[in-house]
Amino acid sequence: MTELKKAPPVLRLEDVAVAYKVRGGEIEAVQNVSFDINRGETHGIVGESGCGKSTVAWAVLNFLGANGYVKRGSIKFQGQELVGVTGEKLRRLRGDQIAMVYQDPMQALNPSMRLGDQMSEVLTVHRDLPQNEAEKMCIEMLERVYMPDAANVMKRYPHQISGGQQQRVVIATALLNNPALLIMDEPTTALDVTVEAAVLDLIAELRREFDTAIMYITHNLGVVARVSTRVGVMYAGEMVERGTVEEIYKNPQHPYTQGLIRCVPKLGADKAKSVLYPIRGRVPPPNNRPTGCIFGPRCDYVQERCRRERPQLREIGQGTMVRCHFSEEIIAADWTPSEDIMPPEIKEKEVGAEAILSVNDLKKYYEVQGSSLKDVLGFGEKRYVKAVENATFDLHKGKTLGVVGESGCGKSTLIKALIGLEETTSGEAKFIGFDITNDISKREQSLIQELQMVFQNPDSTMNPSYTVGQQIGRPMERFNTVPKDQVRDEVIKLLESMRLGANYYDRLPRQLSGGEKQRVGIARALASYPDLVLCDEPVSALDVSVQAAILNLLLEVQQEFDTTLIFIAHDLSVVRFFSDQVAVMYLGQFMEIGPADAIYTPPYHPYSEALLSAVPIPDPEVTQKHIRLKGTVPSAIDPPSGCRFHTRCPRRDLMEDPKLCETESPPWREAGEGHRIFCHLPLDILKTFEPVITQMEGA
Amino acid sequence: MLVKDYMTRHPIMISPETPATEAQRIMTENDVRHLPVVGDGKQILGLVSRNRLRVPPTDLGSLNVWEISRILSDLRVKDVMVNKKELITIDPDKTLEEAAQLLIKNKIGSLPVLEDNIVVGIISELDLLAELSTLLGGNVPGIRVTIRVPDKVGEYAKITSVIANNGWGIQTSGGVPSPKRAGFWDVVIKVRCESKEKLQSVLETIEGQEIIDVREVP
Repeated sequence: MTELKKAPPVLRLEDVAVAYKVRGGEIEAVQNVSFDINRGETHGIVGESGCGKSTVAWAVLNFLGANGYVKRGSIKFQGQELVGVTGEKLRRLRGDQIAMVYQDPMQALNPSMRLGDQMSEVLTVHRDLPQNEAEKMCIEMLERVYMPDAANVMKRYPHQISGGQQQRVVIATALLNNPALLIMDEPTTALDVTVEAAVLDLIAELRREFDTAIMYITHNLGVVARVSTRVGVMYAGEMVERGTVEEIYKNPQHPYTQGLIRCVPKLGADKAKSVLYPIRGRVPPPNNRPTGCIFGPRCDYVQERCRRERPQLREIGQGTMVRCHFSEEIIAADWTPSEDIMPPEIKEKEVGAEAILSVNDLKKYYEVQGSSLKDVLGFGEKRYVKAVENATFDLHKGKTLGVVGESGCGKSTLIKALIGLEETTSGEAKFIGFDITNDISKREQSLIQELQMVFQNPDSTMNPSYTVGQQIGRPMERFNTVPKDQVRDEVIKLLESMRLGANYYDRLPRQLSGGEKQRVGIARALASYPDLVLCDEPVSALDVSVQAAILNLLLEVQQEFDTTLIFIAHDLSVVRFFSDQVAVMYLGQFMEIGPADAIYTPPYHPYSEALLSAVPIPDPEVTQKHIRLKGTVPSAIDPPSGCRFHTRCPRRDLMEDPKLCETESPPWREAGEGHRIFCHLPLDILKTFEPVITQMEGA
Repeated sequence: MLVKDYMTRHPIMISPETPATEAQRIMTENDVRHLPVVGDGKQILGLVSRNRLRVPPTDLGSLNVWEISRILSDLRVKDVMVNKKELITIDPDKTLEEAAQLLIKNKIGSLPVLEDNIVVGIISELDLLAELSTLLGGNVPGIRVTIRVPDKVGEYAKITSVIANNGWGIQTSGGVPSPKRAGFWDVVIKVRCESKEKLQSVLETIEGQEIIDVREVP
């Protein structure tokens, strides 16, 4: 039916430039952006941070702030010009026809209002519906986005529901007025992979049902591959390539797109695919863009013409538009990494018989204070959050253990207990023969020196008033590893091995980019030449191209210093290439542990299987099994009896006696080579699971 | 086949204060013939069609160029639209036949689709024609046969059983009371099968039915 009717696009941007007025002139944050979105289509916009993705979205709604304005070009929504629209007409458009969903649902919800009140407000204000009718519609909409117990959720406050549920409330609110255009700005970035997968399914379904045009902004190439029909790639305020999802991923034309695809871990069928190649350099700031091709300084194929002449967006067939002079001549398959971004070779090392770290039955419980009088007086039954339960593993020198799991599963607590920020409740943990179950204040200084940590957010773990040199030098001075007069040289040596020059020594943290800060963070952790470095999500706050560089750097450092690493990530694809061993955690319990390759192929633990099927893969030719976990992670105060995963386990029907999962803790199933699975299902059944990820024929 | 499945969702809408010239431009540029006029929260106020924008010469007073341009620039959508009171609309849960009857009875081109007075879509004669075309299999290749059958129970079953017995499948079908012969129905079916002749010879074996037309549609 749609073939017969050619509808005009819902949104059309033509040659749009957005400028911000600043002291001493103005900055064009976005230049020459053109694209259109048809009804019922999801148009993805990808790029690193600072490339102007969100600015484009704000320009559509005229949310640019007091100093921003659309300088050139036209933005047409349903055939009507949006540039220059103000006042009542703009208010009506925002409320009735265009809706937006932002990254952090907590910022879109009013924390002091009940969810039901803020949702129904949309209807009572815009449509003059009576309160009771509005509430009825809200409940219907919440049920449509698969909110469990919708009527009850209406009475709650935002903080009383989980992040994934909050985002569902925001999406439901956005859809209440049946908008023609929905702008989603990183709607799943703050969510866990399993929740993200469910939200992405929901978006695809709602698009079909409501025929809504969706503009989907994200930095995650995997997410775009899953939801969109067409994609635009933005770089430094310009759209450098645009085309269908299949073409962009199979046959990227612009060197930047090719680079982006090479620097995301792929979680494909084989491990070789997860080798990462970062893009060198970084995105230029908008006031300092190069003349000629803006990608020129980072491009491997740059030629004289690129420096002189700015390329235009041109069509090169199959509906692909590209902004490059030489895209026909560049063959992505022939690309070889230049020396400076070559990932380090991994040498096979001999594994010593003695484990450097040996953890046995480690537990960490937090006591919770109840609110009843009995509890306050101390007579109540003591209740505990069982953050880590029975953690058992050995780690050999020079090896990496990856720890994955949803948020709230105890990954960070495990690390904090090992490093001594938290005292453990019971169990053993031996690090080169020393007991490390106690608090850090009771440890020997030499022990502290051997155990260091890299944090997730380099911003909040660096003293903003200390220079880079002072921060890195401090552990050297404290532990007396280096004579005082040599500290400076030693710091510079470290900085150089982090690929930061000596000129960084006197800089302050605020003068560094996110990736550089994380390099300093790593350098600081290495400054005392520790034997074991614990990394708590060191790359999840970084852009993909920087992420690849940091991961490769960590690998290199490990080769050079023979450091042992424990690496926490919520993203299974990041861990694969990086780790020798992987442990999967759920609700404080290790569910599966084994060599990295063994985790990604059957036999799987049902939870690992679900996690793998939720990871968005930036390759439209890879098919994944569709497994979605129901509900959210149960509370760790009251974990389910028996197997902790039984409430959400999609494989429980395979059990001969499903009751067993509820009553008894499962046994460890040995699958060989140290691969252990914590499940009631016998290995023979676990082995029959089909692989989650399969490459399509002919690809 | 309900209105909600075939209507155009999110039609272009305008406000009553928009100048009529702007409405004219939007219709031409986007190649649409009807614009629902809405107020706050997409509440229906009226409908503008291209017909409605034909200003009768009598309204233009003298044919003074200045006066014409003044009248045109003062003209708002609310002055030319079909008012809510006389507007014919439909519910999204009605059938396509009901929509078609409303269009025919009132000799109009489109119906705004309303849910509690809120515009959720628009359905036009073109949507219905597009459906008629796909209903009769206009977009899939096959062999199209028109058969005149007596208005009796069991006649349709005869056709389907001979086709099924030969291992073919009916892609689409439709029937109308024959305009040529009282007491008979003209049934159009589209069959996926290897050859026109074979299908015809098989269908000819049914007694009391008459093959009106057979053709291969690529």
